[in-house]
Amino acid sequence: MYPNGVTFGIRFKDFFTKIFEPKFRKLLLMVSSGLLILLALVIGKLFHVLWLGDLFMILAALTAGSDIAIRAFRSLKNKHISIELLVTIAASGALIIGEYWEAAAVTFLFILGAYLESRTLNQTRKVLQGLLDLAPTTVLVLRNGESIEVNPMEVEKGETVIFKPGSKIAVDGIVINGYSTIDESAITGESLPVEKETGSQVFAGTINLDGMIKVEALRVGVDTTLAKIIHRVEEAQDEKAPTQRFIEKFAQWYTPFIIGLSIVAYLITTDIELALTLLVIGCPGALVISTPVSIVAGIGSAAKKGILIKGGEYLENAGKISAIAFDKTGTLTEGKPFVSDVVILNSAQREIHNFNIKLPTQNHEFEWNDDQLRVLKIAAVAESGSEHPLAKAVLQAAGIEVFEGIERFDTITSRGVRVIYEGREIVVGNNQFISDQKIVIPDEVNEHQLQLKSEGKTTILVSIQNYVIGLIAISDRPRKNAMDALKKLQEIGIKTIVMLTGDDHLTANSIAKTLGLSEVKSQLLPEDKLDIIRNLQNDGHIVAMVGDGINDAPALAAANLGIAMGVAGTDVAIETADIALMADDLMKIPEAIRVSKLTLRNIRQNVFIALLTVTALLVGVILGKIHMAGGMFIHEASVLLVILNGMRLLRIA
Amino acid sequence: MKTVLRSQDLSCPSCIAKIEKALLSEEGVSEAKVFFNSGRIEVVHDSQKVDTKKLVEVVRSIGYEAKVSAF
Repeated sequence: MYPNGVTFGIRFKDFFTKIFEPKFRKLLLMVSSGLLILLALVIGKLFHVLWLGDLFMILAALTAGSDIAIRAFRSLKNKHISIELLVTIAASGALIIGEYWEAAAVTFLFILGAYLESRTLNQTRKVLQGLLDLAPTTVLVLRNGESIEVNPMEVEKGETVIFKPGSKIAVDGIVINGYSTIDESAITGESLPVEKETGSQVFAGTINLDGMIKVEALRVGVDTTLAKIIHRVEEAQDEKAPTQRFIEKFAQWYTPFIIGLSIVAYLITTDIELALTLLVIGCPGALVISTPVSIVAGIGSAAKKGILIKGGEYLENAGKISAIAFDKTGTLTEGKPFVSDVVILNSAQREIHNFNIKLPTQNHEFEWNDDQLRVLKIAAVAESGSEHPLAKAVLQAAGIEVFEGIERFDTITSRGVRVIYEGREIVVGNNQFISDQKIVIPDEVNEHQLQLKSEGKTTILVSIQNYVIGLIAISDRPRKNAMDALKKLQEIGIKTIVMLTGDDHLTANSIAKTLGLSEVKSQLLPEDKLDIIRNLQNDGHIVAMVGDGINDAPALAAANLGIAMGVAGTDVAIETADIALMADDLMKIPEAIRVSKLTLRNIRQNVFIALLTVTALLVGVILGKIHMAGGMFIHEASVLLVILNGMRLLRIA
Repeated sequence: MKTVLRSQDLSCPSCIAKIEKALLSEEGVSEAKVFFNSGRIEVVHDSQKVDTKKLVEVVRSIGYEAKVSAF
């Protein structure tokens, strides 16, 4: 009979429950008090019905003020003197002394300001929300031969998960079947999709573009790289920068000081309006928000590019860097050493065939000739089972992984090994190690080494039964964009760039030369790197250290700023580095420093705006130039200005 | 147990103390920490005495909307 009545009933019920939602209630109160003020102005100024205008002003003040007063009262119950309390006292006072316009304007501006501030602030918090949204809510898992849909948190480690084209990857794992391209931009900041096949690593939060893949789940839920990133970014945003701590201390005293000042001002001048106006400007709004807003935006903006900055303090440090030290391997170079040359010594040409050592046969196709392969295999026997990068390169070139029946004698990490195999003694190592074993190094070795090292290669000697038979040269290519990145760093004002490496002088200098670097520290042991960082600091430098975050942890920790590269999937590096770069991209280093500098500048601008406003307001009020409504307006405007300035950081290209 | 709430309404750091005090005055809440910058509210509470729904209500009663979050 009464369809309209029924819908109205439901709508009214909706409306009624909605009123209890703080967000909606605030909006409703704000709009109605604004309209009442408008109405009051029209009636008072245009129609000169003053009493009616005043009445609407009072209504406007009560509408906006009620919510403020309720919140002030609730805080007071928790023994907390809130800003709302100050505004409530000021507005009530204004109503009592008949300043209806002031009361209405102050309360309206206060809730309008709070509304706009929370809306704009949330824009700066959005980056994180974006990351949270990357985690999919369901996933297809293979159980008992059937694929069933479950919550990603319920996937067990080791289970097989299926991702169709267009779906979001929900776990960290290894592709066990299928081929696809994946958009990893959310994790690494790289916009170019990456091709994945059996054996490739995939990360939760990335997007499977065009193929169907089966993935073995290695990490799920809070253990995934995505969850770690979110956690890291949040912690970083909440970490207080030194500037912020200083300002908070200042703000702590500011509010009580203003309250005291207001009382003193009243006692001296008996000017109630002056006292109330002081209360209105008692909130250090722009000041306390100046630093956090820039930091949240700056760190969020960096996270979008795959740069994780540990916190405000490191942002401030990054902006002040004057020297950078690179641990060469894996940063300036690809960190994937490979055998580039095998040299058979002339003196060994004949002997090499006399050693009829039984070697496992391999069916691989090699680019080496028989003699070279023979030397490689002899070296591989000695290096068998070693995890050292150079040893791995030799084993890979020889196509061998592990041998049985080796007697090991001397092993000095990154120097050399001595083993007995099939009754023959094999020694593989650097010149120092070979000499220490009382083996004579033929003169022609020196010649070959000079040539190879000047090409930036590392050499190792291979000897059998106390005869050096050959040299193996190992090369690690510089990264493609290494030169550009270094040039960029110099452009942004970092003049001191040092390359640290365990390589010998010749090899190191040759690599440095191709990269256009002048400062090289070579033949370093791990602990030497720490000393170099300390020395740079003693020279007055603020030092950044770049490494892979695993082998060079002490040096990273000692530097003012530890930067780890290519950390996607390695938790240790994400946890320890001050700045973690998700991708293996050197250009992210100048980028990280640029974002930090911009953020630092933004913080300074904000602090300046805030301090200027506070001072101007205080002086203006005391001189009687600023009244309540004006004071509140300037105050809220400065808060918004500071937030909007901070938001500019979100748009860093 | 520890519950993470997220609020979009935190606009002035003065609300940190306000929310923390309100939560702590609730019986069964042993720790309450508000992270203004990220908008996170971490509460350690006895779920027998106060459930997560009640926590959301407490925060709402002093004027802020908050939601329970997985992490």
